[in-house]
Order: sequence, then C-alpha cells, then structure tokens
Amino acid sequence: MGFYLLSYLCILVFFLAAGCHVYRQWTLPMHVRWELYPVQHEVSGKLVHGGSYMEDWNWWEKEQRSSFLNELKYMVPEILFIRGLWKENRKLWWVSFPFHFGLYLMIATFGLLVLHAFSVLPGGAPPAGGALRTLLSGMTVLTGWVGLILGVTGSAGMFFRRLIDPELRDYSSFVDYFNIVFIFLFFLFAFLACLFTDPLLEGAKAYTFGLLTGGDSLNAYAPAQTFLGGGTIVFASLLVAYVPLTHMSHMFMKYFFYHNVKWDDAPNRRGGPVEAAVLKNLALKPTWKAKHVEADGRKSWQEIASSAPKEMK
Amino acid sequence: MKETVKPSDMAKPSECLCHIEPGDLSPLPPPYEDFNEKAIPPLNPEKVKHIETSLDDTVAIGIPKPANREEEEELVRRFLSGLKKLFEKENNWTFLQPLLLSMEHCTKCQTCSDACPVYEMSGKKDIHRPMFRAEVLRRIYNKYLKPGGKITAKLTGDIDLNWTTIARLAELSYRCTLCRRCATVCPIGVDNGLINHEIRKLFSQEMGIAPKEIHEKGTSQQLRVGSSTGMNPLAAKDSVDFIQEEMEEITGWKVDIPWDVEGADILLLHNAGEMLAWPENVGAFAIIFQAAGLSWTLSSETVGYDAVNYGLWYDDVQFSRVAVRHAEIARRLKVKKIVMGECGHAHKALTVIADRLLTGDLNIPRESAMVTLEKIVLGGKLKFDPRRNDFPVTLHDPCNFVRAMGIVEPQRRILRKIAPRFREMTPHGVDNYCCGGGSGFAIMSPYNFEAWRNLVSSRKKFLQILNAFQGEPAEIPKYVCAPCSNCKGAIRDIINFYHAEERSRIYYGGLVELIVNAMADMKKPLIQFGDDPSWKA
Ligand code: SF4
Ligand code: SF4
Repeated sequence: MGFYLLSYLCILVFFLAAGCHVYRQWTLPMHVRWELYPVQHEVSGKLVHGGSYMEDWNWWEKEQRSSFLNELKYMVPEILFIRGLWKENRKLWWVSFPFHFGLYLMIATFGLLVLHAFSVLPGGAPPAGGALRTLLSGMTVLTGWVGLILGVTGSAGMFFRRLIDPELRDYSSFVDYFNIVFIFLFFLFAFLACLFTDPLLEGAKAYTFGLLTGGDSLNAYAPAQTFLGGGTIVFASLLVAYVPLTHMSHMFMKYFFYHNVKWDDAPNRRGGPVEAAVLKNLALKPTWKAKHVEADGRKSWQEIASSAPKEMK
Repeated sequence: MKETVKPSDMAKPSECLCHIEPGDLSPLPPPYEDFNEKAIPPLNPEKVKHIETSLDDTVAIGIPKPANREEEEELVRRFLSGLKKLFEKENNWTFLQPLLLSMEHCTKCQTCSDACPVYEMSGKKDIHRPMFRAEVLRRIYNKYLKPGGKITAKLTGDIDLNWTTIARLAELSYRCTLCRRCATVCPIGVDNGLINHEIRKLFSQEMGIAPKEIHEKGTSQQLRVGSSTGMNPLAAKDSVDFIQEEMEEITGWKVDIPWDVEGADILLLHNAGEMLAWPENVGAFAIIFQAAGLSWTLSSETVGYDAVNYGLWYDDVQFSRVAVRHAEIARRLKVKKIVMGECGHAHKALTVIADRLLTGDLNIPRESAMVTLEKIVLGGKLKFDPRRNDFPVTLHDPCNFVRAMGIVEPQRRILRKIAPRFREMTPHGVDNYCCGGGSGFAIMSPYNFEAWRNLVSSRKKFLQILNAFQGEPAEIPKYVCAPCSNCKGAIRDIINFYHAEERSRIYYGGLVELIVNAMADMKKPLIQFGDDPSWKA
C-alpha cells in the first residue's frame, strides 16, 4: 500500500503545483502587447510571410480573422517533433527529440493503462479476451517499449551533451544535471523492469488498476514485488510530482508563452474587454523610486502618465 | 583558446571582464579585410577615471563610481528593491506575465546564442550570449529575493551580488539591441530581449540610471522642449519651411506642408530627426500625400512633431507619458487616424505597445506609413516610371515594425513596382537582422561606443548589405532602402565607417525617396549618388 500512497501523494502534488502555475497565469494583470511575428493564428495569406492584420489599410474597420487550423499546423509538429529545435539547433535535437518523445510515449502509455484499467473495472477481474482489451494491450506494449528505448537513449544523450558541450556545461548547475539523471533513472528502471520481469507490461497494468481501485490487485503479480518494479514506481511517482516544481513545467506552460505573449495580438477596441483590463491596470499605484517617475504610492499610472515630470535628469 | 566567462564572474573584480582582441570579430570579405584586424579603440583613461568601465572595451551609460562603501551598499539595496518591483503588478503590470514566464523556463540550451548578431559578430564572446544577462538576473533574483535562495543557489546557480555585478549588468543591458531575434528561435518561447528590457527599466525607474542620450536628452527633453532633437515647435516649423524650399529646388515640385489642420483625416508623425538629418524624407512624404490628394496634417504642438518615444527602450513611465501626449494631440486635432512615418520604434511604441495604455477617445487608430503608401502607390492614381530607379536596391527590415508588428509585405509590394532591380537580403522579413542601432544605439555615441556599434552590433547588417549586392560591379551605385530613421542612422554610420561609398558605391535612404524618384510627374530626380543624379541620361 505504501507504493500507492506515494503515487497518490505525488499525483496530488502534480495537480496542486500545476494548478498554482496556471491559476497564477490566469490572475496576472493584462500586460502590454509584446507579440512576435509570425503569429501562427494569422490567416494563410499573411502567415506565409509573417504578416499581421496591421498590413491592411484601415485595419480597425475590418473584422479580425484568425485561423485555428494554421495554429494547429504549427503546434502539432512543434509539440510532437520539436520542429523549432530541428530547425535551429539540430545537434541538440538528436538527443532532445528522443528524450521528449519518450516522455510523451510514457504519458500515452499511462493513458492506455488507465483505459485498460477502466475496461476491466466492472467485475474487478479480467474476463478473458475482448477485442478492445487486446488492442489496448498491444498498443500499451508498443508505446511502452518504444517510449522506454527513446527515453533511455534520449536522457542519456541529453546528459552527455550537457556534460561534453562547453556551451551547455558552462551554464549548467547541479539541478540541471540532477533533473536529467532523475529522468534517466526512471527510464532505466522502467526499461530494465520490462526487460527482465514485465515484457508485456502486465505489472504496469496491475499497478494502474490498483491506482484506480485503491489498491485492489488485478492479478497475482504486483510490480512492487521486484526491486526494478518498485524502483520504477518510486521514480515515476516522484517525477510526476517534481516536473511542475521545476522549469520542466514548460511542458504545459508553453501554452501561455504562445497564447498570452507571442501570439497575443488582440487589439484594444473602445468599450471592449481589453479596454476594461487596461483601465483596471491604469488605476494601480506604482512606487518606483527614481525621481523622474514621481511616484508616491498614491498617484495612479493614469495620473503619472498624464503628467510631465518636473525632474528631468 | 577562447576565455570562458561565466555569469558568476560578473561579481569578481577585474579591470575588464570581456576584451575583444584584433582578429576576434567575424571576418569581413574583400575589399574590407583591412577592418578585420581593427579592435575597439581604447577608452581614454582620463575621461573614464570616475566611471564604471569594468565590463568590456566600451561604455554606454557611464555610471559614476560610488564614492565609498556606504554608497555602494545603498546602490545594491536600491537595485534589490527595484528588482522586487519588477515582479509586482502595481509596479510592472505592463510586462509582468512575459517576464515571469521568461524568468522561470529557460532550459539553458543556447539555441538563442547563434541567432544573436551581437554574439556572433563579437567573436562569440560569452557576455553577449542572449541568455547571459538573463541568467545573471535570474540568479540574483533566485538567491536574494526568493525564500531560502541563499541555500538553493548552491544547487541552481550561484552569483554574488555586489556593486561590480550591478554596474556591469547595467552596462551589459546596453549591449543588446532588443531586436528579439533570439526570442523567435527559443524552443520554449523565452524572450531574453524582454528580460534585457526589464533590466534597463529597473535601472531607470528605480535607480535613475540610463544613458543620457535616451533619458535626459531623449524622453525628458522631448517632454520639456517638444523633441529629442532639442527642436522647439518654432524650430520645427522653420525646418519644414526650409524643406519646402529645398524640395522645390531639387525636384521642381511645389511642396505645401500643412500644419495643425483640425479635422484632417491623417496626422502624420515623423521622427523629428528626419527634419534635420534627412529633410528629403519629410519632403518626399509631402509630395506623395499631396499628389495623392490626401487630407493630412503635421502638428506643431510640443511633442506632436516628433514621433520618437525612447521610453520604449528603457522606461515604461516615460514611455507612457510620451504616448499619451501623442494621442492627446491627435485627439485635439480631431484626426481620423495617425500615420506613423518612417520610424520603426515609433511604430511599435504608439501602435502596438501603447494599444494597452490608451483608452476611450485617446485610442485613435494608428496605421503604418508602409500601408498608407502601398495604398497610394498601388492604387493607380499616381503614375510611375520604374526605369528611373534603375539601380540595385535592397531592403532593410526594421525589427520594430517587421518582427514586432508583422508589417512585412506592403513595403515589398511597393518596391516590386518601383524598383526593378530590387533584391532581398538573406535572411529577411521576420528573420531579419537588426541594423545594430536598435534600442537607442543609433543615437548613442558616448566615449568609444560608436566604434563598438560599427564594429560589433552593426557588423552583421553590413555583411548582409555586402551580400545583397554581391556580383554587382563596384562602380555602379547601390541603394539600401531603410524605412526607419534609427536604422538609417546606423546604416549611414556603417557606410561611413567602412568607407562603403568609396569602395562599393553603397548609398542609403528611405522608401519615400525611392517612390518620389520614380514618379512620372517629377521633373528632376530626388536621389543623388554623390554628385551624380540617379536618373540615367
Ligand atoms: S532562452 Fe531559450 S533558447 Fe536561449 S538558452 Fe534559454 S531555453 Fe534555450
Ligand atoms: S534581443 Fe537581439 S541583440 Fe538582444 S540578445 Fe536577443 S538577438 Fe541579441
């Protein structure tokens, strides 16, 4: 039961930490525009050269159009294949791609394991056969194995690249190495566990089933009975809790980078929601100390912006 | 072997943290190889006796050395209090979200380094890596402002905080042109240009530290006198009177530049530097608008005749004040829209950044002159003879309205129509390289900073220009079209510095000059190449 408690706790930490990140982003004041072109939701005629709606004469008289399809066309290869890195930093891509894709496949494997667990939930014990379960089992084995092989090689590659390449080494701290080693150990334990004790991921299925049922066993075999299986559970659980506490949270925070900054080109229209947010911001009272700012904590941004400074230096 | 400089070295005392030796800089092709052994001329020890110079071979701000230890400690305290404010919504709602995201998610992959022209051209000096200064700030923030930071710093990256660290960081924030090319390639979306912008703000808004040219003689002078050039309204009107006469003399076209016309459709905002340095630009705009029959006006109100807003580069408060003044003037004139002349940073300042500052009737539509001009040139009302522009032309993309606003094609569609020998630089459009004069550099020349700019930050642009004209005979004149005053200033300086007019006959100018030069109604050419007219006999 100790393993399950650890996993539950780590999942809770994940949701709390990720929730905090997301909540903080949502509650931040609207910032000034700082988009960077190409903005990928632009319509094709503009996107092809990185243009914007501001290329149109009297653009404010037109309805603003955007293309979700164009955004997807960019996002999908970017997320799945890290296309940006392929283009800009090929030598890192060769290790970064297997590393990331390995992680994605681990997430996919876990998703399949959960689906599998649901498919056997009602009776508690698995009835034999069933096309769906066979399909799920097959896919689990495939994503699991491919993910583990990519993950082991990718994380080992990332580690050595960081160690060997002076460009990376000179800026790496203990934590940077620790993060990669941590992920590598997870992949390694999981890989060895599959190789030596659980090639068809039966143990993983059993454990996931147990996670959903508060510890009920799916079958007689429990992965925690082996050192490698137990290690995998510990590392996987801790990793789930650890990711959102570090800069690795970019896995989901990238959403805000793109949608709230790089592609946030929403114009301020009179009486619209942007204007309302701006008015709220302008009522804030800064306390910057340089003389020319002339802030005293009582004057608002609006008042300061409408005044000429007395102090000119 | 290349000497490595790490972020933690910023705190270690030394006379010069990063020195460029002759031969370190990226090589230039013939006939410019003689510049490959050039280094930045040494600072005059007498002149810099009392200022901070321990970062590298140049000085952009010239921060006075503190008189004693107490003063140093007070400055460190001020720095930390400013740093804290960068993360407070009351003080920094303007950029809080982008800053937080960029501060927390860098994976130190160095993808951004190769995208940075300053880093590449400097001979890949560590301090010019885009993430270097961001990492310095990040480490200080994590160690000195986060709970338990002094312990976790040993694990996440340590740095000592003393006056040397701070003085160097302030100077270092003026070695980046804020071109944001690094941000376009970051696989995460981290924007080191933005972090640099925030460092500049901290120094200005909390500590009152900023280069004289952009604060005292820049925004402050603009708000007080009317223009960062020092021109008051009367002087501006005089200049424009002179421009009218000059234009008539040069082109044979009677130019009438309207002032303060209430109810005009368009308020045209020029960078006032054009009136002094490139009067033909102001005149060419007038000719085109007049010929197209537009209803337009200039404003002679204080600040209203100078589109610049240097606040964009270093200070949100000064930025807001200038932007509000521009909008108030347009409101008083009851114009339908403001058209931004050929000034890139002014475009971004008033059109995009101030968009979330101006509310109600101050939120008057703003349009890029590139768009207005495209409408005119492609509209068919004016007749053009492109053969008049029968010389090689290349286009510089100002970062501020190309990468930061997505105004990419209008100027190209114009050039394709009026300049038959137009060719692109490589790369161009949103992937362009900065002119090297961005973020205030074009107007900053204290000590030996101008030499640093020409040798380092503008070097990539110079290489791009040479490449664009590769294969063209040295003796034929070539035109770099730079539709932005700051870029034009930087390009003028590199042409002079590298003797590119003498060696390759490279000239520069704006877009409107090319348009007027190709107008069928013109009796004489507007563009001259030295003493030669641009029209072929
Ligand atoms: S800013 Fe982006 S590209 Fe540069 S080191 Fe950080 S993560 Fe890599
Ligand atoms: S903003 Fe431009 S100059 Fe500054 S670090 Fe990035 S690429 Fe280099």
